[in-house]
Amino acid sequence: MIEMSELKQLLINEPGKKLFLLGNEAIARGAIEAGVRVATTYPGTPSSEVGNVLSELAKQAGIYFQFSVNEKVAIEVAYSSAISGLRSFVFMKHVGLNVAADPLMSISYTGVRAGLVVMSADDPSMFSSQNEQDNRNYAELAHIPLIEPSNSQEAKDFLKYAFEISEMEHIPVLFRTTTRVSHQRGMVELGEIAKKEEAGFFKSDPKNFVALPVNSMGLKEGLIKKMERLKTVSDNSRINRIESYGSGKYGIITSGEAYNVLMDTVSKYGLDVSILKLGFTNPLPENMVTTFLKEHENVIVVEELDPFLETRVRMIAQMHSTGTKIFGKIDGYFTFSHEYNPDTVAGSLSRIMGFNVEQVPVEIDSSMLPPRPPVLCPGCPHRATYYAVKRAVKMSNIKDPIYSSDIGCYSLGVYDPYDEADVMIDMGSSIGVGGGFSNATGQKVISFIGDSTFFHSGIPGLINAVHNEANVVLIVLDNRTTAMTGQQPNPGMNINGMGDAAPEVSIEAIVKAIGIQYVKVVDPYDLKSTLLAVSGALRNEGVSVIVARRECAMIRDERMRSKKEWKTYQVDPEKCKLCMNCVEKFSCPAIFIEGGKIRIDQNICDGCGVCAEPYVCPPKAIEEVQTA
Amino acid sequence: MMTNIIISGVGGQGVVTAGLLLSEAATIKGIHVVMSEIHGLAQRGGSVSVDVRMGDVYGSIIGKGEADLIIGFEPIETMRAISRAGRNTFVIMNSEKITPISLSMNDKEYPSNAELIGLADKSVTIREINAVSLAKKAGNYRAVNTVIIGAALALKVLPFDKAEVLAALNNKFSGKIYDINREALDLGIEQIQLNQTA
Repeated sequence: MIEMSELKQLLINEPGKKLFLLGNEAIARGAIEAGVRVATTYPGTPSSEVGNVLSELAKQAGIYFQFSVNEKVAIEVAYSSAISGLRSFVFMKHVGLNVAADPLMSISYTGVRAGLVVMSADDPSMFSSQNEQDNRNYAELAHIPLIEPSNSQEAKDFLKYAFEISEMEHIPVLFRTTTRVSHQRGMVELGEIAKKEEAGFFKSDPKNFVALPVNSMGLKEGLIKKMERLKTVSDNSRINRIESYGSGKYGIITSGEAYNVLMDTVSKYGLDVSILKLGFTNPLPENMVTTFLKEHENVIVVEELDPFLETRVRMIAQMHSTGTKIFGKIDGYFTFSHEYNPDTVAGSLSRIMGFNVEQVPVEIDSSMLPPRPPVLCPGCPHRATYYAVKRAVKMSNIKDPIYSSDIGCYSLGVYDPYDEADVMIDMGSSIGVGGGFSNATGQKVISFIGDSTFFHSGIPGLINAVHNEANVVLIVLDNRTTAMTGQQPNPGMNINGMGDAAPEVSIEAIVKAIGIQYVKVVDPYDLKSTLLAVSGALRNEGVSVIVARRECAMIRDERMRSKKEWKTYQVDPEKCKLCMNCVEKFSCPAIFIEGGKIRIDQNICDGCGVCAEPYVCPPKAIEEVQTA
Repeated sequence: MMTNIIISGVGGQGVVTAGLLLSEAATIKGIHVVMSEIHGLAQRGGSVSVDVRMGDVYGSIIGKGEADLIIGFEPIETMRAISRAGRNTFVIMNSEKITPISLSMNDKEYPSNAELIGLADKSVTIREINAVSLAKKAGNYRAVNTVIIGAALALKVLPFDKAEVLAALNNKFSGKIYDINREALDLGIEQIQLNQTA
């Protein structure tokens, strides 16, 4: 993220000025230039920074912005604004679109009045996701246009274009980025900021907006006609273009980040190619592709993840009998998995085109390097909760407990030494899956869920568990923010996405209201009361809930630093009995071994002091550093 | 012409900020820059690496053997990035260790820097620098970034000069903080020059 003071630059109305922007910052600027009046999201990496920027600038930009409770609600809010005449933008990570897919499949039928663009930030190679689904398939499934940018400049410009397309046919448009587009930083030339509609007005038209079978029959036919007309638009689109290098012997069709990696390979090896670079990928520019296929004996399709373009290109070749030899994933030249890099693309192209790939000169045996996977931060309250739960399970003599986890920083509880995640599939699944285990097995089930995830989709699972008399302990890891994606507010906080005061929704009041009797709120830094609460819940039959409430360590750090109340801890080597409990069981990243002694890294310790508790350090060898 | 720089370290060390400073200096010089950041999952403590590419480039990912400069904020993370080094890659390694819990949890100690450097091909020259102590000397632990950038400048592989780095620092900091960073930059430059003459 650029600094907050620098973020204001995104509001400057000086066409031609250049800024060095993250793809997501460029997208936020694109929304401002497009005159977006309403923007909604549920935070998810790699889309998160779009919301962080809009949250900061919304008021000055004249945008209504909200962090919605989940993606389904986010798209519903944006949709209602768009059918009230306001340009609306909704954005999320790829798996978020699964949550929003239900409304998306119907709003493609009803269409919109002002522009509605739905952004999906896909995550090839799963840098921070549970899967790497290719959401271009949603455009096909919903019969809506698909736009794919390759870099920060295109991210901004193509977003504005997506709004034009949306309004041309009154249809929602899918705008698809990937991690390397959203998180690539490059120079962006600013454009003009458009004027906005002030207030929306919804003119009733139930035939168009009520998706009852009687209406949807006709709407579907209308939708197909819209997409038919958009074929011509795609064929003449300024965001589809041909570039030629050398005599252009091989034809290559590509889009998105794959274009960048391809171009680096083309310039490194001086390849003789013509490239059809596509930004408008559904509907495909059929005439353009047909001509390109006819002009080349051999055409290679270079795209990440699914053979989305390749399948259609092969179909066009067959329908128009172009006789072109086509290379791609389906015939095994490229992989269906993970993002591309210069090595993988050069490797695949060399097998097709027959050039020699340079050998990597320096190899290192990286198995010798100890892994450093993501860990819970020093001072993270979740570490204390996981530690207490593990001890309580052991003290209660519970054999074969099942830990059902959820999406958030606390997913990292899967790693040693906590090992408190046996299953984790999607947002809100910890409690739904937990209820299922209690039906299927006689084992004790402990589910973990974060505060934001609880509001997002945990509540229906919890209601289901209560009504179906499941036997589950649910631990709500309430760190007072949506931490993993960068501290966005959620309904459990007294502030909203625009920084205004907002009603705080109480987790424990919801839990009690659905009839759960055993409800305890604890501070995880207080290991003793957390242990007692968890032990009690483990003895309880039915659904019990513990809210482990303590703000995210990063928020606490900021507050402590500003109040100059910073402190750290150290190990007294005289008192330390080298029992190794703190390093082996508590495992804070600040605690390490050097010269056979346990030490605390003063540069990393954030002074939570949980390690100093006798439950972690029985000989009380860990003490506060006294600065004279 | 292009310059490929990999910056690697541990979440929370300021790896992204270092990438931004280098990018800004190149931009001031009028050079095209593309930078890749990977955000998400835990905020602190995991491996982090940023690719910065300057010149005639499209994508933000540096291929194997293609790095001109590797800046390691931490010894193990420096070596992890070396798999993308080529024969002519310059490497700067901050000697300050951060022990991964995968070691401490298993009662293992951090390998010595000499052992780590020994893993690399002999053709790669690795310059060690204690950026933390130099940053503290300049007046602030958090100036580690700037010390390391100074060291990189002294190697003369970057396509810009000290003037552009100072301008970038000046855009970011003012007053005392700027002075500390200017001092940190000089200490980083001097350290490498000392090593080279020694």
